Amino acid sequence: MIQVERLTKYYGDVLAVDDLSFHVEKGEVVAFLGPNGAGKSTTMRMLTCYLAATKGTARIAGFSVVDDPVEVRRHIGYLPETVPLYREMRVTEFLNFRAKLKGVARSDRRKQIAECLELCDLSHMADRIIDTLSKGYRQRVGLAESLINDPEILILDEPTVGLDPNQIRLTRQVVKDLAEKHTVLLSTHILPEVEMVCERFMIIDQGRVVAMDTMDSLAHRSSTIVEVNGPPEQIERRLADIAGVEKVTCKKGENYHRFSLETTGANDVREDVAAALVGAGWTMRELHRQASSLEEVFVEATMKEAEDEDTSKQTLSTDVATTGEGEEQG
Amino acid sequence: MRNILAIFQREFVAYFLSPVAYVVTFVFLAVNNFGFFYIVGVLNNPEVGSVPPMQILLSSNIFLWIYLPVVAPVLTMKLLAEERRLGTIEVLMTAPVTEAQVVLGKYLASLAFYIVLWIPTLAYVAVLATYGSPDYGEFFAGYLGLITIGAVFLSIGLLASSLTRNQITAVILGLLPIFAIWWLPTILSSVGSLDPAVAKVVRFFDAIGHLQLDFSKGIIDTRRLVLYLSEIVLMLFITVRVVEISKGR
Repeated sequence: MIQVERLTKYYGDVLAVDDLSFHVEKGEVVAFLGPNGAGKSTTMRMLTCYLAATKGTARIAGFSVVDDPVEVRRHIGYLPETVPLYREMRVTEFLNFRAKLKGVARSDRRKQIAECLELCDLSHMADRIIDTLSKGYRQRVGLAESLINDPEILILDEPTVGLDPNQIRLTRQVVKDLAEKHTVLLSTHILPEVEMVCERFMIIDQGRVVAMDTMDSLAHRSSTIVEVNGPPEQIERRLADIAGVEKVTCKKGENYHRFSLETTGANDVREDVAAALVGAGWTMRELHRQASSLEEVFVEATMKEAEDEDTSKQTLSTDVATTGEGEEQG
Repeated sequence: MRNILAIFQREFVAYFLSPVAYVVTFVFLAVNNFGFFYIVGVLNNPEVGSVPPMQILLSSNIFLWIYLPVVAPVLTMKLLAEERRLGTIEVLMTAPVTEAQVVLGKYLASLAFYIVLWIPTLAYVAVLATYGSPDYGEFFAGYLGLITIGAVFLSIGLLASSLTRNQITAVILGLLPIFAIWWLPTILSSVGSLDPAVAKVVRFFDAIGHLQLDFSKGIIDTRRLVLYLSEIVLMLFITVRVVEISKGR
């Protein structure tokens, strides 16, 4: 339904989206995650043909965003992050105007508007002027607007930001209900929300996809943490040999080193780990298993780069310091 | 076409919901009232020979001279600048509409409101018709001139509105070219002797001159209409381009 091929966007010299490719199939609800400024909104704006891509292309419902922007827009409902609305209009007036623009036939408009109001729990606010509505209600007007022509694809940019807990639940429920017939791409910072609503997630950072998985396979992944005193390289090799362990990462300490073992499915490797370490005569002071959470995946995927950058900066500053000293001596 | 109509309707109705439009209408009618008062005064003065009333309105009413060019950018100032300031342009341009449809819809709405501004002045024609026998052809040409020149100013105002997020900036930006075709030719020809070739070019663009010398006498010169239409098309074309490239900035 959504096919993104090597999409790239520069704002002047600043690279916002870097060679991004992904697919979303019909009927999927996909979460689009990433830290602030990762390029989520920019990508969404390119998918809705609001921004032109610098390079690459995307196809929405089979239409190219480059060649057929109007046709693409006919198939999407889009809720921007800031939910811009015409404040001086009444709710139904606004929805009527948008329905007209989106080509809803005159005979269906009244019914369609009533349905959207009902779905977003707005029926009692239908005649209010949008300016007098609270933020949460305005957000719902925006959501109702994006549904007005019953689009196949919904692109929602942080739809639950600034809502009260009841409204958040309602919005989630709306998205869940829509998932039966629609394809949804939604960005958010609220990770539990993703676990509740989405089938698949995608994490981007600095304009690139850094992690992508289904919620099902995430639920089946777990990791085992162990802290051991001994020669780290040998321990790592020994741990990697244990059946069921996919990957071992090591964080070296002074005496004790912390190893994290990624395992698949229902494999519980704790007994094997204990046996192996004790057999080799290394002392162990911690051993536990934890299910992978989305938060962990998110932090791991997006922090790595930040750490790398920090180290490179440090090296740079040391270099500068050394040269400074050299000059003083000279 | 349906999209243009939808945008036209929204913008036209929006005029009646904004206080600015009522202020504009009030001052507009006040200025025209003064004009009418003046016309009746001249017509009642036995020492003045018979002067076409439209000519008096267009050449002697200094307030209209000042006010008319200001009305246009005030009417168009919010049309695109406000959309950009509030970010509603993002929602508008992600609906299945083209930039040209948006610009045309908004332009036609401003033109319709401008024409509505003139409608109450038809009462003066009715009054004149009651007490005398005016030449209706002259009125027709006069109104045509006022409306077509207004249409040019509105297209300039809309272009100015597309260039900024700030409505006041849009007005001032729009006034520069409007003054250039409204005041500048008069100023140029009164300050000194122009080179005849230059003077000829200036006369082509002299909107006040067109009103005084042609339209107010009942002359409909197609050269003027073609010029105005070309100016409008050019302005709207540039506006469409500006909207295209300024999305997302």
